[in-house]
This record gives sequence, C-alpha cells and structure tokens, in this order.
Amino acid sequence: MIIKLIETALILAAGFFFTHKALPYLLVNGGRKLGFPMKPAPHWQKRMKRFKTIKRGYYSFLIITTLFVTSFFLEFIVNSKPLMIRYQSNTAFPAVREWADKLFFFADLRRMTKKTDFGQVGDDEVSYRLFAASLKDPAIFDRQIEKLEAELKDIRAQISASGTGSKSTPEEVQDYADLQEILPVVEGEIEAVKEAKAQFVAGKAMIIMPLYPYSAGEHLLDIPGTPPHSPDRTNILGTDDSGADVFAQLVYGFRISLSFALIVSFSGYVIGIIIGGMMGYFGGWFDILTQRFIEVWSSIPFLFTIMIIAAIVQPTFILLVGLLVVLSAWISMTFYMRGEFYREKTRDYVHAAVAMGATDWSVMMKHILPNSLVPVVTFAPFAIVANIGQLVSLDYLGFGLPVGTPSWGSLLSQGMQYIKYYPSLILTPSIALSVTLFLVVQIGEAVREAFDPKVFSRLR
Amino acid sequence: MHGMTTYFIRRLLLIPLTFLAITFLVYAVLRVVPGGPIEQAQLQIKMAAMQEGGSTGSASAEAELQIPEDAMKELKKYYHLDKSIPEGYVRWLWGIVRLDFGRSYVYGEPVLDVITSKFPISIYFGLIGYFASWLVCVPLGVTKAIRHRTGYDTWTSVLVFIGYSIPGFVACLMLMVLLGGGSYFDILPLGGFRSDNWEQLGFFAKIIDQLRHTAIPVFGYLIGGFATMTILMKNSLLDNLGADYVRTAFAKGLSENRVVFVHAMRNSLIPLTVGIGQALGLLFAGSFLIEKTCNIPGMGLLGYTSIIQRDYPVILGTLVFLVLIRLTGNIFSDIVWAMIDPRIRFSK
Repeated sequence: MIIKLIETALILAAGFFFTHKALPYLLVNGGRKLGFPMKPAPHWQKRMKRFKTIKRGYYSFLIITTLFVTSFFLEFIVNSKPLMIRYQSNTAFPAVREWADKLFFFADLRRMTKKTDFGQVGDDEVSYRLFAASLKDPAIFDRQIEKLEAELKDIRAQISASGTGSKSTPEEVQDYADLQEILPVVEGEIEAVKEAKAQFVAGKAMIIMPLYPYSAGEHLLDIPGTPPHSPDRTNILGTDDSGADVFAQLVYGFRISLSFALIVSFSGYVIGIIIGGMMGYFGGWFDILTQRFIEVWSSIPFLFTIMIIAAIVQPTFILLVGLLVVLSAWISMTFYMRGEFYREKTRDYVHAAVAMGATDWSVMMKHILPNSLVPVVTFAPFAIVANIGQLVSLDYLGFGLPVGTPSWGSLLSQGMQYIKYYPSLILTPSIALSVTLFLVVQIGEAVREAFDPKVFSRLR
Repeated sequence: MHGMTTYFIRRLLLIPLTFLAITFLVYAVLRVVPGGPIEQAQLQIKMAAMQEGGSTGSASAEAELQIPEDAMKELKKYYHLDKSIPEGYVRWLWGIVRLDFGRSYVYGEPVLDVITSKFPISIYFGLIGYFASWLVCVPLGVTKAIRHRTGYDTWTSVLVFIGYSIPGFVACLMLMVLLGGGSYFDILPLGGFRSDNWEQLGFFAKIIDQLRHTAIPVFGYLIGGFATMTILMKNSLLDNLGADYVRTAFAKGLSENRVVFVHAMRNSLIPLTVGIGQALGLLFAGSFLIEKTCNIPGMGLLGYTSIIQRDYPVILGTLVFLVLIRLTGNIFSDIVWAMIDPRIRFSK
C-alpha cells in the first residue's frame, strides 16, 4: 500500500517534471530553431508574472496541466495489460502497444499476446492477472492440474462405459468419437501446465503490471456477487453495474472530458474569432446580416436540439464536438471579437499596415488579432468549465459519447439507479467533476485578475 | 424614443423568422431520419411475432410481418406522415396557429393538454428557485462588497467557487445521496413532485410534504445561478461605490448605510435584472437535467421522455413552447432593462 503511494507520488513528480520543465524547454528551443521569436511581448510577460503571483490560480494551473499531460500516459499506469511480459524467450509489451495504437490512431498496432506463447492453455489473449498470480503462488498450477486430471478421469470413465456397450444411434457414435478426440487434448493441456509450472519455478517467467492493474473497459465478472461492487482493497472505488472498475473509468474519463472540452472550446474560439473579427473589421451589411443570423441561431434551444439529434444518430466523439461547436460554442466569442476588431481597426498601426499594402486577411490575423487576445485568454478557462459540464450533462442524459466510453456522466446516471445502495457511484464522479471544475475555475479567476487588475477604490 | 421603437420592432419581426427556421429544421430532421412511429410499429409487430415462437419458417414469417399496403397508408395517414415534408410542415404550422398541436402518440391526448398539465409544475419550481436565488445572492453579494478584501470575503468566495464548480443536477444528486435515505440520512424524499398519498393528507401535512419535495430541486436551481449572480451583485456594487455620485453623497455627510443601501444599491441592482427574461424563460421551461434527476413531471421531463419515446407531436410541441418562451423572454429582458435604466438606449 505504502509502496503504491510512493510510486504514485513518483509518477506524478515525473509528470510534473515532464510537463513544466521538459516540455516548455523543448517547445521554446524547438520554436527558436524554427525561427520563431519565442519571447513573449513585454506586456504579456508582465501578465504572466502577475499570474504567477496569484498562488491559488497558479498552483491549480500546475496541478491541472500536470494531471492532463500525465493522463496521456495513462495506459502505462492504469491498465489491465502489463507493461512487459516474458515467458521463456517470448517477450511482449501489451500496454505499450495499446498506448502506441491510440497515439498513432491511423495505424493498427494491436497484436494479441496468445495464451499458448505464455504458458497458458487456450487460444485467446493471455490472462495477465492469472499470470501474475501464478508467479507469486505456483500452487495455482497444482490446482489447475488437479482440475484437468479430474476432467481426464471423467472422460476416461465415459469412454470405458460407452466403449463396452453397442452404439445404436448415430449420435452415440458421434459422442464416442468426440470423447476419443478430446482425450489427447486434455492430456496435452496437463503436460503444458506442468511444463509451465516448471518454467515459472525456474524463473523463466516475468511480468510487470501497471500500478493500478484494471482497465476502464474490462468487465470484472469473476468477483463474487453481482455488480456493482462497493469499494474494496483491490478496486479502490468499486465497480459499476457492468463490472468495470470505477477508478479506472474516472481517470480515463478525466482525460476524455478535458480533451473534449479543450477541442470544443478551441474550435469554437477559432470560428468565433474569424466570424467576429470579420464582423468588426468589415462592418456594413455583412455585420448586420451576421448579427441577425446570430440572433436567430442563438435562440435555438441548444440542449433540446442536441438531444433530438443524438437520439436519432448515435453520436461519436467527432460528431458531438461538431454539434457543440456549431450549435453554441462559437457564438459568445463573436461578440467580444466584433468589439475588439471594431475598436482596433481605427488605430494608427492598422492604417500603417493598410498603407503598406497588407491584405485584409493579414491585417486581421497578423496585426489586429495579437492585440485582441485578452478576451480569448480570459474567457477560455470558463469555456472549458462550461464544456466539461455540457459533456457530463449529455452523457448523464444518455445522449453523449458512445456506450462503453469511460465517462463521468454515465457513471452518474448509473449511480441514479443504485442511489440507495451504492452512494459511491454518485459521490466519486461528482467529487471528481467538482474538484476538476474548481481547479479550472481557480485558473480562470487568476487569469482574469492577472489581465485586468481592477482595484476598487472605496470611500468611507 | 425613435431608436427604441425601431429596435423593438426589429426584434419583434425576428421572432416569426426565428420560429419558422427552427421549427422547420426540426420538423424536417424528424421526418427524414429513421426511427419514426411507423418503424416503431413495425418493430413492435416483429417483436410480438418473435415472442409467439419461431416454429413457423422464417421466410414466410418475414412476409407476414410486412405491413400490408393499405394498412400502411392508414398508418401514415393516422400519423400525418402521408404528405411531403413542406406540405406536412405547412399543415402542422396551420394546426399550431389554430392551437391544434396534434395528438401525442404515447398519451393519446391532445399535445396542448399534455403540455399545459406539465407547465404549472415547472413554473412552480422555476419561480421558487428564482426568488430563492435573489434572496440568497443579493445579500451575500452586498455583504461581500461592503467587506471587500476581508476574511469574510475570502471564505465566501471559496463558497462561490465551489458553487460554480458543481452543476445543479450534480448538486441534486449529491443531496439525494446524503439526505434521501439509504446511505446516510433519511430526511428528504428521493424526487417526485408530491407523495403518492398527497390527496389523503391533512392541510398542513400537504404543505409539509410539498415543501419536502421542493427543497432539493430548488437547491439545484439555486446553485445553477448562484456564483454568477453573487459575483455580479458584488462587482456592480463595488463599481458604484467607487463612482463620483457616491463620493458626492458621502461629501454631503450622509451615513454609510444610507449611501450604500439607498444610493448605490439602486444602481447596482440594474445588471441583475438584465438576465431576468432569459432566466425566467429557462425556469418556465424547466431544466431537463434537474427535472430528470429529481423526477419532477414538468416540461423538462416531458421533453426528455418524448425524445426517448419518439413522440413526435410532443417533441415539436415542446419545441414550440421552448422557442417562444426564449424569444419573448429576451425581448422582455430588454424592455425591463430599458424601463429600469433610463441610460439604456438601443439605437445605433
């Protein structure tokens, strides 16, 4: 237990070092190599400095970014597949493969580690937990052998019983032939298990399991009793009603929720900046028509519409992102950008750029946009909070990501059904959600304060 | 006033346009995609046949399961799906104009009756939630502003941030776990509008039962707008306290209480009324999430179940109500705002 805690701390420390030391170093140096001046403008430096002095926001920022970057290596930390498995001369890295398969999603990198290659009996994938358990306790092999021998005895008895009598029906003949066929198979299996035991005892087998050896999509049906299960020592937050581990779902759900919110907010902001910028920059008819369109568009009952569409077409990750962006995420930024561009376009530097023959597009993107980023940065954390909330709500209502995707919302809706008996099914995702949102809100508050240090003067 | 009048005329003109655009879009989507009532009927026939037993050959069973041509026509006519999409839409729209929303496939009653029976329940929770949020947020925001940058301000800010981080329905869920019996305390009922035996209860027992069912959902509504409203109140009061007219008031020698509560308060409340229309619209229409979580049979739950059950007339009817409430709510906000704050002029 203590070892696991220390390991967790080490992993988080490594994640912190990678996120806040290695990654910025690589980015800054890489950017310089490519010829970008990687030094922010002085007023941005000042804002960043101010942000760092607001401790609660800065620490929340460090925690969230560390957890988020580390979560991209979750396959190595929370997984039912081992980091490495070796038996005789066979070596495999199932967790690494799974991670690489997800990272390079365009290539199929999955390979099945077959049982027969790793001293187990059967044709399907190795049972890693059995493998690890038999390493600790070779008596498991003895039990397996006992069971197989009992089976063998049973088959032999059947053969001798039916071998003496006459076989009248074709079915009986077939049964007899089947039994004759199974006999050598079971004998072979006993040999294989005996061989495996010898190899295990001789130290020819090795397995490195991840820190928390359960996956989000794995249904643990061999736990006694019917799922959901309450928290215990092995499944620290219990399982849901399909037998999937709740802790694994929570941590994978963190990665999905945050990635989802980031993608939606980012795409919404890009569209909002472009449309809002054009409205402010060009003005005139374009501005008026787009304003009216936005008025109409923003009166769509957004949640209801998404529910209707999602009820009909089972949404995928991409489709859900698209729906949220198109229906709502882009709208709010247009208002701010329209105002910013409208104000900035009368400034001297814009006139200078136009006089030098810059195109509309380059004036907008190269000259005005860098001076209009304050609303983008200050509203981004709150947009992320809102979008995490949207995803959780949609998942909760059953109109979100496909079934089987680890998500906080679907855990909550499961918890609804078991509200009287399994309070942890509701409490753990609620707390995970609230803590995450709380940290992001802290970042948002600190950013807002760093960008807009409003000093209220007060008379008495 | 000229600019104001044109502004409101423009807003009013946009209402039918918006309304037509949204309803036509949804109508078309519902008609085009599969899973409508006819498919549902076919599915039910198939399921029934499968349950009766698979002893008959599959090929002949398959042929039997096809709905006959004339029956299909009857079905389509019954569900008003026999016309093309534009024609069907115009007919549906003409129905709406005459307040005929069609009949619910599920309940078998006119849609308007179904909706109007659910509407008061949503209004009940919505209004209580709205007043509760004023009662909590205004005093909290005012005291926070007066004691800006003190210990009180800091720890209530933590409270505000926590409130912002918990979505309303999640708060309801957590409260139901904690107070709804089973695991921790057994104080409040697990959702529902009233107890089943409400009719038999005495007068005071009725009130108490109703209040017990009201507590958790109202808390959910409250927490939904709690943070924004409190911070808005605080910031707007702080803004006003730094304004020149407050300096003048102090210079006249008025007491602090009078300056804060009479002079500054009146102006600081204006921003809070901006969202009044949207907020009321949202509350009238109910929240899908809270109504589903607390099992309140209001508009939100009706919309949700009608989507699940593919009850097209009810979906469209709910949509009409949602859109109209929202559109009128927006205009209502603007009018209220312009009435309260004489500086607001919507002209260019």
